[in-house]
Amino acid sequence: MPLFKGFNMPVFDIDGELVEYEPGEKILSAALRCGKIIPHYCYHPGMSIVATCRMCLVDVVDMGNGRPAPKLQTACSMDATEGMKVETLNPKVEEGRKLVNEFLLVNHPLDCPICDQSGECTLQDYAFEYGSGKSEMDYSKRVSGWRDIGSFVALERNRCIQCSRCDRFTREITGTNEFGMFNRGHELTVDTYADRPMTNKFQGNMADICPVGAITEKEFRFKRRAWKLKKNRSICTGCSTGCNVTIEHDRNEIFRLKPHENQSVNKWWLCDEGRLTYRIMNERKTRIHQPLGRVEGKLEGISWEEAYSAIAERVGDLSALPEEVLALTDTHASNEELFLLQKLLKDIFSSDNIFCPLPTWEQSESEFFINTLITTDNTPNRAGALALKIKGDAKSTKLKKAIENELKVVFVLGNPFEAEVEVQEKIKRAQLVVHLGTFHNSWSEIADVVLSGQYYSEKEGTFTNKDQRVQATEIAVKALRRTRPEWQILMDLSASLGHGNSYSSSADVFNAMTEQVKSFADLSYAEIRLFGKELNHKTKDSGMKVVKAHT
Amino acid sequence: MAEETLVLFKNIRNPKYDKSLSAYKKSGGFKSLKKVFGMKPDEVVQEVKESGIRGRGGAGFPTGLKWSFMAKGTGKPSYLVANADESEPGTCKDRELMLKDPHMFLEGLMIGCYAIGCHHGYVYVRGEYFPSIKSLNEAVDELYADGLLGLDPMGSGFNLDITIHTGAGAYICGEESALLDSLEGKRGHPRVKPPFPAVSGFNGCPTSVNNVETLACMPFILGDNGVEDFKNFGPQNNSGTHLVSLSGHVNRPGVYELRMDVNMKDIIYEFGGGIRNGKKLKGVIPGGSSSPVMTADEVDVLYNFDDLAKKGTMMGSSAMMVFDEDTDVVKLLHRITRFYAHESCGQCTPCREGTHWSRQIIRDFLNGNGSEEKLLRLNRVGGNMMGTTLCALGDAAAMPIQSFVKKFPEEFRKYYATV
Repeated sequence: MPLFKGFNMPVFDIDGELVEYEPGEKILSAALRCGKIIPHYCYHPGMSIVATCRMCLVDVVDMGNGRPAPKLQTACSMDATEGMKVETLNPKVEEGRKLVNEFLLVNHPLDCPICDQSGECTLQDYAFEYGSGKSEMDYSKRVSGWRDIGSFVALERNRCIQCSRCDRFTREITGTNEFGMFNRGHELTVDTYADRPMTNKFQGNMADICPVGAITEKEFRFKRRAWKLKKNRSICTGCSTGCNVTIEHDRNEIFRLKPHENQSVNKWWLCDEGRLTYRIMNERKTRIHQPLGRVEGKLEGISWEEAYSAIAERVGDLSALPEEVLALTDTHASNEELFLLQKLLKDIFSSDNIFCPLPTWEQSESEFFINTLITTDNTPNRAGALALKIKGDAKSTKLKKAIENELKVVFVLGNPFEAEVEVQEKIKRAQLVVHLGTFHNSWSEIADVVLSGQYYSEKEGTFTNKDQRVQATEIAVKALRRTRPEWQILMDLSASLGHGNSYSSSADVFNAMTEQVKSFADLSYAEIRLFGKELNHKTKDSGMKVVKAHT
Repeated sequence: MAEETLVLFKNIRNPKYDKSLSAYKKSGGFKSLKKVFGMKPDEVVQEVKESGIRGRGGAGFPTGLKWSFMAKGTGKPSYLVANADESEPGTCKDRELMLKDPHMFLEGLMIGCYAIGCHHGYVYVRGEYFPSIKSLNEAVDELYADGLLGLDPMGSGFNLDITIHTGAGAYICGEESALLDSLEGKRGHPRVKPPFPAVSGFNGCPTSVNNVETLACMPFILGDNGVEDFKNFGPQNNSGTHLVSLSGHVNRPGVYELRMDVNMKDIIYEFGGGIRNGKKLKGVIPGGSSSPVMTADEVDVLYNFDDLAKKGTMMGSSAMMVFDEDTDVVKLLHRITRFYAHESCGQCTPCREGTHWSRQIIRDFLNGNGSEEKLLRLNRVGGNMMGTTLCALGDAAAMPIQSFVKKFPEEFRKYYATV
């Protein structure tokens, strides 16, 4: 196969631009990969090709053999071939798209003002581009009506353009087959079989892939117009899979999580449970709003300086031995925070008494990829703790031995061992308990000093997922005024205890970590920011147990 | 009076013929199959190629060529599926064959199976054809009882099974890929092509889908001197006899077996006995409802694939529908369009929306709400379906609309002309 200079793969020509393709790849897929925009509805890279919406028409002026295609071709179904010339913008193509768009709008209710998809609706976009603005349809439109198909998504069938993405999703992606196409001809419509509600755990994706407002998320309906939402890349912290998401927010309130494509992690999908984790990000009632200190048995608001100096004073008085110091952390903390907490213990107290819960967890084995997105490990950074060699498990003898000592100073990050009453009882007796966290819990009740941290939507950080891929989050919303990111708190704390390291950002901490921790060596922050990167030195036992998927 | 040429109908036209296996054998049946079992499969395909037979289902694709496209060496079984889902309005030829002489068709199917190395042939019969289904099932039972089907028929070592599968009455399942979907137990939706069925068809295996009449020609073609005789039945590229389903306002409607060089006029006036009640001819739909209509002035043409194509229409499944001067063309078009609106599978946009929309426009004319603007719109909506859909149903719906508007505009104008 002749290769053009500078290309590793065979190429073809789209609008005078050379585009690489893999043998067997379709025109549309190759074009999208190169950032060319060809309008389409039914095509989805993760599902089979049906070529039914007819919107992706292109003019193949040379099929690679010198001859033009006899008529406009659908780019989604035509193989790219060496030397092919494709035009996507000529008048013939525009005309073709215009008429397909006209047909699509013939029975569409055009209720954009009350439709939640408005603003992120491809039908709306292309209607603006290719629609005539005037309808020649004089007859009453088809009415299929809405259907109640379950708790997570709403189905308004009048808006449906019969692209069949949702149907293919339940057949090819989840394998649950509870959704399908009914009737035929212009009465063709979508519904669940036998009026049953939807059962799969990934219904939100059907709202994502629906190009129009036929399927929308009930959770998001009537809350905000899509164009008002600002979007930031982040990681879902619902479990250790670490699906890539965008946090969508407006006026410092988070409205939803949407999956962000990452072929190495979640592809295009996100589970419903993950989507619902947005709720806790808006939680204010149980949040720790400011640093708190115990004055005469009661927690009262204090300033940061007061908190730090009180801790420093107390630690100085106690002059604890290494075995009299303990740090507990959960695996919701980022790699940087775990690293700094470990470092604080080592630098100030020469202790490595740091523990986190690491129970075994289950991973579904399934012929459908999407089922592997849900794990029973509902913490985002277990692998990070393992990579930093933080010891674990409530039942481990080491922890039991550690809490038997006369404890003097205890640091608690987040909400570890929440169900372990025994551990909490033991630690209650310690001379100084410092709790860093975002929410009030049983630890803040027994703590002497409570330091107000930030939730992951409010700060930067990196998490290591179950495949030991390090991924970064962005700041999405502004944090509460009197909270600080945990990495900063730990840094300041260690400075006030007499061992200062100054870092200017979470990325700075990450860089220090790559120098000091072998597992994280050779990673750079810039490299992991887009799609993450797997650790070079992996932990062997991740505690995973493979089980059969329940579908 | 012109004569029929009897090849496919040689038994059916015999009043004493009782369609049993013994009667069929007595008439020379299964001699060709015996001959074929002595040949190599490639030689059979070559003979069929040489005969020049073109598919009788409507598209007129050369059958030998179709068989030679079958993917080989894939390690998967091959399948031959007989398309007996005869649903094109006006067509009733396959029904005659299956009902009155099923063994000829089944022998053809068996020859086809041998030619492409298929050990399990399927017949997908239109669901409404109850008598034909019964007749086919009885015939297949007879063949199994006689040992012509099953293990080692005629000592050939070529095991062969045939299954009769009934459809559920959807026009779209006559489209070959939709037929295969339906045969697999799915909704009958046309598939994206390529891959063509010859590469990935029934259950993802190489499959050839052939019309009943095409297969019924095989015993003759592979009989003694069959190829030469077959070629002589018509002009070049249009070999063989074909079954013409003549219907409409003629005195003697019916299925006639004709050579390919018979003039359409003769079919209407001699075989059909002229227009009934002594009326004048207004037009003819020459090849099933999807073919572009012809006016009375255009019918002086040889009735075969190429000559009709030159006239801008098509022979399709050889179903002529004749209508006289009293016919309301708008009503006729409304009925045709209603059919396509009802039978569209609905998966692709232009056909799903276009067939229904054009039906609504035509209904407007009938209700006295027509206008010149609507006539133009009808033509435009019809045209927009042409060549833009996944399968041929969009074209099938568009062609009558466009041709009726082009050839009978005055008929539409009658509905809104201000006097």
